[in-house]
Amino acid sequence: MVRDNPVIEKVLVANRGEIAIRLCRAVQEEGLRAVAVYETPDAENRHLSIADEAVWIGPGPRKDYLDIDRIVMAAKRSGCQAVHPGYGFLAENPALAAACEDAGLVFVGPSAATIARLGDKTISRTLAAEAGLPVIPGSGILPPGQEGRRLAVEFARTHGFPVMLKAVAGGGGRGIRRVDDEQALADQIGLARAEAQSAFGDGRLYLEKGIVRPRHVEVQVLGDSHGNLIHMGARNCSIQRRHQKLVEVAPSLLAPEIEEAVCQAAVKYARYTGYVNAGTVEFLVDADNSFYFLEINTRLQVEHTVTETVTGIDIVRRMLRIASGRVLDVAQSDVACRGFAIEMRINAEDPKRDFAPDSGKTVAVYNSPGGPGIRLDGMVYQGYTIPAEYDSLLVKLTVYGFKWPEAVSRMARALRNFRIVGPKTTIPFYRALVAEPEFMSGSFDTGYLDRHPELFDYRDLEAQEERIAKLLAAIHHHGKNPYAF
Amino acid sequence: MSIRILPGTDPEEALAAVRSAPGYFVTNTARDLSQSDFKNRILAHTDLLVAPEREAAGYFSLEITGGASVHVDMLRKQINPFERLERLRQLMPNTMFQTLCRGVNLFGYRPYPENVIRMTVREFAEYVDVWRVFDFLNHVPNMIPVFEEVREAGRLLEATVCFSTGPEHTDEFYVKKVGEILDVTGPDILLAVKNHSGLGTPGRIGQLVSSLLDAWPDLVIHYHGHNTDGNDVGRIVAAVSAGAKIVDAADHAMTGFFGPPPILTVLRMLADLGHEAQGINEDAVIAASDKLKRERPAYAAFESQFKGFDPTVHVHKLPGGAMGSSFEQAVKGGFLDRMPEILMSELPKVHRELGNFWSVTPGSQILWTTAVTHTLSGKRWVNASEDLKRLLLERYGPFPFYRPSDEIYEAVFGSEWKAVVASECGAEECAPVDMEAERKALEEALLRPASTRELVLYLQHPRDAVDFFRFEEEFGKTYVLPPSVWLREGGFGPEETVSFTDHTGKVHQVLFSASQTLADGGTLSYLYVDHHLEPFYFQPEAGEGKEVRRELSVKEIADLADLGEVRAAMAGVVSQVLVEKEQKVSEGDSLLVLEAMKMLNSLEAAVSGVVAEVAVTEGQAIRQGDLLIRIRPPRAKD
Repeated sequence: MVRDNPVIEKVLVANRGEIAIRLCRAVQEEGLRAVAVYETPDAENRHLSIADEAVWIGPGPRKDYLDIDRIVMAAKRSGCQAVHPGYGFLAENPALAAACEDAGLVFVGPSAATIARLGDKTISRTLAAEAGLPVIPGSGILPPGQEGRRLAVEFARTHGFPVMLKAVAGGGGRGIRRVDDEQALADQIGLARAEAQSAFGDGRLYLEKGIVRPRHVEVQVLGDSHGNLIHMGARNCSIQRRHQKLVEVAPSLLAPEIEEAVCQAAVKYARYTGYVNAGTVEFLVDADNSFYFLEINTRLQVEHTVTETVTGIDIVRRMLRIASGRVLDVAQSDVACRGFAIEMRINAEDPKRDFAPDSGKTVAVYNSPGGPGIRLDGMVYQGYTIPAEYDSLLVKLTVYGFKWPEAVSRMARALRNFRIVGPKTTIPFYRALVAEPEFMSGSFDTGYLDRHPELFDYRDLEAQEERIAKLLAAIHHHGKNPYAF
Repeated sequence: MSIRILPGTDPEEALAAVRSAPGYFVTNTARDLSQSDFKNRILAHTDLLVAPEREAAGYFSLEITGGASVHVDMLRKQINPFERLERLRQLMPNTMFQTLCRGVNLFGYRPYPENVIRMTVREFAEYVDVWRVFDFLNHVPNMIPVFEEVREAGRLLEATVCFSTGPEHTDEFYVKKVGEILDVTGPDILLAVKNHSGLGTPGRIGQLVSSLLDAWPDLVIHYHGHNTDGNDVGRIVAAVSAGAKIVDAADHAMTGFFGPPPILTVLRMLADLGHEAQGINEDAVIAASDKLKRERPAYAAFESQFKGFDPTVHVHKLPGGAMGSSFEQAVKGGFLDRMPEILMSELPKVHRELGNFWSVTPGSQILWTTAVTHTLSGKRWVNASEDLKRLLLERYGPFPFYRPSDEIYEAVFGSEWKAVVASECGAEECAPVDMEAERKALEEALLRPASTRELVLYLQHPRDAVDFFRFEEEFGKTYVLPPSVWLREGGFGPEETVSFTDHTGKVHQVLFSASQTLADGGTLSYLYVDHHLEPFYFQPEAGEGKEVRRELSVKEIADLADLGEVRAAMAGVVSQVLVEKEQKVSEGDSLLVLEAMKMLNSLEAAVSGVVAEVAVTEGQAIRQGDLLIRIRPPRAKD
């Protein structure tokens, strides 16, 4: 099917929360109209007030944002020509892209075929190897039963422990187990298979060589339908909990020649796969700076803000232009990373309780930082009640600094000035993080949080007036000061 | 002419300046005033409020820490005693701060080993220039370790003789005692005559000061008294006329009945006699009181229940610092009607029988508790507190004049008392504290690193220090609240606004709004904090609406004890449980040890039987009337 240059005037923003707002902003800056969708619990969500129109898609929760028919119908009925999925929900579901294509809507992202093909971890790795990228030694899909166990042990003996046991259909950090010896390997395969079957409806597993003290580095790529393809530099997303990213940095903090090599590999991969629109090629970088292709995310990333900050190039606007068939207006030589950006995800979670969401709480005070080098991508406001139905991201705080220490101290300042009263948030944890020497030196890897349990001993200090007010309330409630008599 | 001795002045220079000054100096005894007339409740907020005026007043020193204040700062005022001094120092850079230190007992109630003394003195010496160090038995060895540390820290040492009256309390005795002190310290000290009960006539005080100066003409004498009989101004005048160089008095707006007398009255009296107060700015003295007058009403609940001077102090000799709390205990314990008997008869009798030493902490508590126990139980000496036993065994030091009679020892220790005395009498070895172990224990309690100062406070009062550190973690720096808020009773009015300036200088407003009772019985109290509404949740109080607590009288508690139901006669903490369930006990057996009113008291079985229930555990805080232990008396058939 040949895409004519479609005329896009209205874009359906098929998401909620902060990313819906981010998309609306880009759509509106492009001179287009943004149409929001919402489930009933989100009726007062701020993305509705920022969008130009809103369409109710059902009572939710979650299921209607995941309902392709309703999304397509909302786009058609509101007169949209395009659908932007953001991240999460249906963003990497090839069926949405396909449904859009069938309905004559432009899907802002790669084609359904690309999503389907590259979303399969085995295929995407095979393609990477074909393209000449270093790939972490892997086993191929393990057959069920005794034969699978035998192959697994053989693989581990060849490449050495640790090995990672992965679900073919896993993603976002889910369905991964680290195995350190043969006994554990034999024990884990059955469990992992059962878990993958119930979590993803696909019990297939494969093995990978485990990388020691790996850094998680990813490259933003942009390709248009005219054969132009560039990278926008790399990001370091090594600070993760349970394989979920918490803090992202641009550029990668690798030596420049290593970063350049990683970026070139990403471009090579995207070119080989004929990639169109925005994508992120992920790598693991070993302690000796050898790097391995991991996967490609065929969508906009949460952490795209750090790349935008150091390059000054708006990725979402480029996504919309590419989708409408226009020629990419950025050449590789236009991309220059200047300085450093750090993004932290301010979540309504209690880091001390393994980041358990603190939902149901109402935000009593919301005072955000401002001033030089601060970017906020948020959706929260004073009076906002944290819904239990959706994810716990409140706002992304991105800061810029010309030098790395400058970015770190600016982040520390921004966190000090950030006040959210009501739910527990990750802010006090981040305050401890930015004061930790290994983080300050920029030498962290994915094992960072495991090595620094002391970061969780932070004290969740409320502002002085809140604490004194608590005492005043006690004096009032008890009729006299329980701490004075 | 204005002479001002600044903080940090070399002790020798400071003494030379005092000696050569033509007149006398005044110490503003704010801490003792708070302790004697306001049950120690004057808040840091008030002291900070009048700091500029007190600074301008030109006192020799401001007595602002020590005594019970270190403990009460943490227990009732929720302020770190070091931080209080730090804040005051910022506002009063030119006024020396003075402390009252109980010898080797420091600011606690029991002796500390030398390594604790060293650490404590070092930390406080950063703020405290003048160290008044005393011992209730005037036993010089009990003061020497502190003397040494004060010297080491380069601060002014004010060694102390406690003063009292009676046939033994002669000039010869005191001259000899001061000689003992000077033998240890050398001549470069201040010497306090500590008249903590405000005893003696002006003539007696003048004569004592003269005798001391006859013996040591260069001695710098600092007279400290209490106005309990209303005549301390007379004694001060006599002391200065006889050559004392420094005297204690307080801001007139706050003077009551049992603390120091008004500064201004002292100034006027002595000026008339030609004695010039050094460095004093009378306008500033007056300005401080003008400010304090507006604060005093907020402290009304802590003034003595009984207004008026008490010239009978010459009989009972209670120290000024214990007057208010004694009456408070009498009211709470339901024995107010027995007070004349206690004060005029039993207390002086016990005092004489125990050796006529100085009635000041911890000796005053021993005398008082013993007299109260005797009067209320009708039995003398048999229910001796642990601290009385320690006194009799001379753990605190030797009796200064004479030992109590053999009959008392026999009543307290039983027929084998001679063996007990022979084997246990004398000062205790005070082994050094394992600082690292203590620090570790503190850090485990706090779940965070502890500073050296926190450790110092913890070593003085372990439980209360930890409670305070936790309080501070939860509520922050609440000392910014004025007494009208901190001590508020009956809650706040609808839409009432409280504004305060936090410790960083930022102004905040809290407006009280509605409260709501929830289904679980808890309460949601709504406050506007800096203009945004915040709910504060309170759990339903234990037993609220079910059990109505009634205070039991001492008589009722004694009656219940005869039935085997052992209840607490006063609030305190269970220090030790000596029996367990199903254990057989006989009348007179020790059941548990309670710590109350700074004293360890052993509770004995009033009946024989079997322990049916132990209702408390060690370390548990108890209220008056709480059930402790139940004894099942043997049934007729057993």
